[in-house]
Amino acid sequence: MAIAPKANIVREDLLRVEGVTKIFDGVVKAVDNVSLTVAIGEIFALLGGSGCGKSTLLRMLAGFEAPSKGKIFLAGEDITNLPPYQRPINMMFQSYALFPHLTVWENIAFGLRRDHMPKEQIVERVESMLSLVQLTKYAKRKPHQLSGGQQQRVALARSLAKRPKLLLLDEPLGALDKKLRETTQLELVNIIEEVGVTCVLVTHDQEEAMTMASRIAVMSEGYFLQVGSPDEIYEMPNSRQVADFIGNVNIFDGVVEEDESDHVTVRCNDCLHYVGHGISGNSGMSVGVALRPEKILLTKEKPTGEYNWCEGEVTEIAYFGAYTTYHLKLNSGKVIKAQELNNTRDLSCGLTWGDRAFAQWSDLAMVVLTQ
Amino acid sequence: MNKFTNYMRSFFNGRHVVIGVPYLWFLMLALVPLLIVLKISVSEMESTSVSSMISWSEGWPAIKLNFASYVFIGSDELYVQTYLSSLKYALLTTVICLSIGYPFAYFMARAPKHLQPMLLMLIMLPFWTSFLLRIYAWKTLLVNNGVINNVLMSLGVIDAPMEMMNTPFSLMVGMVYSYLPFMILPLYANLSKLDMRYLEAAADLGASPFKAFWLITVPLSKAGIIAGSMLVFIPAVGEYVIPELLGGPDTLMIGRVLWDEFFSNNDWPMASAVAVVMILLIMLPMAIYNKYQSEQAELKS
Repeated sequence: MAIAPKANIVREDLLRVEGVTKIFDGVVKAVDNVSLTVAIGEIFALLGGSGCGKSTLLRMLAGFEAPSKGKIFLAGEDITNLPPYQRPINMMFQSYALFPHLTVWENIAFGLRRDHMPKEQIVERVESMLSLVQLTKYAKRKPHQLSGGQQQRVALARSLAKRPKLLLLDEPLGALDKKLRETTQLELVNIIEEVGVTCVLVTHDQEEAMTMASRIAVMSEGYFLQVGSPDEIYEMPNSRQVADFIGNVNIFDGVVEEDESDHVTVRCNDCLHYVGHGISGNSGMSVGVALRPEKILLTKEKPTGEYNWCEGEVTEIAYFGAYTTYHLKLNSGKVIKAQELNNTRDLSCGLTWGDRAFAQWSDLAMVVLTQ
Repeated sequence: MNKFTNYMRSFFNGRHVVIGVPYLWFLMLALVPLLIVLKISVSEMESTSVSSMISWSEGWPAIKLNFASYVFIGSDELYVQTYLSSLKYALLTTVICLSIGYPFAYFMARAPKHLQPMLLMLIMLPFWTSFLLRIYAWKTLLVNNGVINNVLMSLGVIDAPMEMMNTPFSLMVGMVYSYLPFMILPLYANLSKLDMRYLEAAADLGASPFKAFWLITVPLSKAGIIAGSMLVFIPAVGEYVIPELLGGPDTLMIGRVLWDEFFSNNDWPMASAVAVVMILLIMLPMAIYNKYQSEQAELKS
């Protein structure tokens, strides 16, 4: 799913946020003691549901909100108290905020004119921006004469025109429909990588974050739950909240029986888990075992092993074309989801409603959640 | 008969009635009176009444048009001067109202949401008192032994009373005072709808707050500026009461001339011709405004 993030051989920090807190009306903590660094060339995503503080954090980076506490540094310089119009940071706004009374050309030139750039240079820069986003033909149009996708590209061109050190993207694809979003996502990443600008992006859409970003911070109630690459966040979530927020997950509650450095076993109501990684904990501890639906294999035959399988009844089948999701009601009454890839045209495991079925998985499929 | 009732039914269906009512209103209360005024303006005065336009000679109707009033308006310096002076004072009123009203409306639109209804009320509060009384009140403030002069003299700021009453100054005070709400209200309606994200985008792209105001807020409030200016300019051109009560000999306005023609000279055709020319003068900015509005409507669709 993820476009391979570009590895930064020498990590050089561009943005550093130190213990930033934002309190609204003296009580509401929108952002709570957040620290982060973003390296040059990185695309960093702030991911979270509405009201998690991601937009407030972005607005503080842009300069529209002042932090109640903490500092923001850009390339080593303290920009905490700099007004937005003096920051070498540009933002692509949610639903774009293109100036309706100006043409596409004038919208893109707006920031350059504020810098008193010589006329010939403005012309040159705007033309190159227009060709970058393939809108040369539309230069004389007004924003309302463009489609959603075209408006999005104008917004991108406008925010890139000043060659900012840092580009902020606020729900960059939020206003587009699903089909257009997929193609635009790739286009956007390509353009950003072509320009080589460092990005901080805010989104509530985990797919968008995983496709575009090289690192993701999952936010909730004003603080970071986990920061990591898309695959780290997906495969090694550090808490139930993260596991639950990113993709689908089955979480089994259980108690640690064996606790070795290379494996643990967890006893649950319906099965015994043999997990192929160690944990920082001890036996007898209550934990959750997270298992992604696509890592489960459904069969009609009973597995022979001792671990990592359970039995249940198929209660729901949802066919998605590429794969099918089965709901399996286990003996304890717990319902788990299993995703089976439809890799042949006769639906692979031949299960139907009411069938008894066995779910099994490998010892590398799970992750133990201690919190 | 059946065909006729069907026709009547289709004609009087809800759609036609709803669309028809405003047209009927406009026809009865604007177009017909206007045509009557137009007719009077090309008639002749006969002792106490106006001559009829159609006379009968040998069984044939003859239409008699008399453009003498118009010719007189065009040739007499007084009328031309008065029109120009009316336009001048109306324009001045509009400009002053705009320069006072815009910041007023701007801060109202930026005020905390819960305060806005109260501020709006304060703008409309003067309407609770009769217009005539409020203009009269200005008289007691502005005359030589009025409130303002007395206070300033007792404070020692001035030695002799300032000559304010019956000057262009007192006229402008009355005009601006009366028409300011008509400027503020459409501007406020427009500015309170302004999307703050545009200003943020401008700031983000390097525009200082002043630049952002000048390059974003002002052009985006163009519709409000035009609406407010029209609402002030058009009635200000034909204003009668304020120049009559607060104006002086050198503040000629066409409303007063009109009054004089009707009630002092009893010259109805002349008065009507004066009115018709005034309407034509006002229709020019109206047409510009309408053209702009239909352009805007086109942009939105």
